Amino acid sequence: MRRSRRSDQGRHLGGPPRTRLALLSAMVVLFTCGCGGSPSSGSGTGGMAAGVQASGARTVTVRARPVPHLGKVLVNSQGYVLYVFAPDGHRAVTCTAACLGSWPPLMLPSGGTLAAGAGVDSMLLGSDPDPEVGRVVTYNNWPLYTYAGDVAPGQASGQDIDLNGGEWYVIRPSGQPLIPGS
Amino acid sequence: MTTGQRSSRPGRRAVLLSACGLAAGAAAASAGWAMSTSSAAPPGPAVISPGEDLMREHGVLKRVLLCYREMTARIQAGGPLDAADLHAAALIIHDYIEGFHEGLEEGYVFPRLVRAGRLTATVSTLLVQHARGRVITQFLLRAATARQVADPGARAQIAAAMQAFDRMYEPHEAREDTVVFPAFRQVVPAGELADLGWHFADLEHQQFGTDEFTAMVARVASIEHNLGIYDLAQFTPQVTQYTPPA
Repeated sequence: MRRSRRSDQGRHLGGPPRTRLALLSAMVVLFTCGCGGSPSSGSGTGGMAAGVQASGARTVTVRARPVPHLGKVLVNSQGYVLYVFAPDGHRAVTCTAACLGSWPPLMLPSGGTLAAGAGVDSMLLGSDPDPEVGRVVTYNNWPLYTYAGDVAPGQASGQDIDLNGGEWYVIRPSGQPLIPGS
Repeated sequence: MTTGQRSSRPGRRAVLLSACGLAAGAAAASAGWAMSTSSAAPPGPAVISPGEDLMREHGVLKRVLLCYREMTARIQAGGPLDAADLHAAALIIHDYIEGFHEGLEEGYVFPRLVRAGRLTATVSTLLVQHARGRVITQFLLRAATARQVADPGARAQIAAAMQAFDRMYEPHEAREDTVVFPAFRQVVPAGELADLGWHFADLEHQQFGTDEFTAMVARVASIEHNLGIYDLAQFTPQVTQYTPPA
C-alpha cells in the first residue's frame, strides 16, 4: 500500500499545543457523529451522519451488503459503506484532525456494545482507542470509517481513493480490504 | 501567537460541551469562556475567522483553476505541456484543497449547517462534488507523466478532466463563498466562531508547517511563472474600443 508524500509531513512539527489539536479533532468527531444525539440521517449528507448508528444507540451494528461493482462489503446500520485506511496498518487509528472531517470514524459509544449483522463475523469485531476521543469500531483490527462523499446508503465513492495520506478501501466480510489488482 | 495567549482558551470539556449543547451547564461554560476570552485576552495578532480562512484557501484553488485553464488551452492549441507543471498543480489540489480545506468544510461547516436545517440540499451537492473532484485529481496525478502528456489520446483526456474540474469548482467555490460560509457564520455563536479560527490555524500549522499559506501561494505562483500567466498586468484589457461614440 503506498502512501502520499504528504502523509507524514507536519505530523511531528513542534507547532501548536497538541491539546488544541485534540480539541479540534474531538469536535469533528462529535459534530460528525451527532454528539451522541440525533444524526442527520435524513439530510442526504451521509458521511456526516454515518459515523454513529442511530440516536443514542448503545449497540453498534456492522452489516454486510452488496454494493454495485464491488460485491458484498461492510456497512453500518444505516447502510453507509465502511472503509479502512491503509496507513492504519491493520492495527491503529491514524486518521486524525482534518482527515476526520472527510472520514468520520465509526464510533463505539461509552458503555456501548458491538453486534454483527448477517454475513459479518462477530469474532472480527472490536474497538480501538481513538487518539482524540472515544473508541473506534474495528474489524479484523482495521479501524472503520465512513466517507463524507457518500451521501446515500450503498454508495462507495471513496473506494481506492488516495486522500489524507494514504489509500482508502472498502472491506470484505472476510476482513480483507478490497484492494484493486490484488 | 504565544502559548500564553492560548492558555486563555477554553478547556477541552467546555468546548466539547458547548459544541454539542449537551447540558445546560455547557452553555454557561461556553458563555463564561466567551466572556473571559473577549475581556481578558492579551493583545496580539488577531486570528482570521474560519470563513476568511476558507475563502483565502479558495483563492489558492482559483489560481490552480486558472493554471488548469491555461494548460487546457495549450493542449487544445497543440502546444507543449510540461508534466511537472500538471503534477505540481494537481498536487496542490490533492494535498491542500482536498486533503485539508475540504476536510474542514466536511468536518465543521457542513455538519453545522445540516444540524441547523440550513442548505441541506446544497451541502449534499457540495459533498458529491468534493468526491468527484478527488477522482479527477487522482486521474490527473497519474496522468502527469512525460509519456502521457505527449500522447494525443491522453492529452485529450487530460484536457477534458481539467475542464470538468474547472467547470465544477468555479460555481462550487463561488456558492460556498457567497451562501454557505455566510450561513455558517449565522448559525455558529461568535465566541465559538473565534475559537474555530484558532483551531483552523493550529491545524493548518500542524499539517503544513510554519507560514503554510504563504508557501502554498508561492507554489502556485511558481507554476504560473512556468505557464507565463503570473504577470497580472497581462490580463488588463485595452479599452479604446469601449469609448462611447462622440
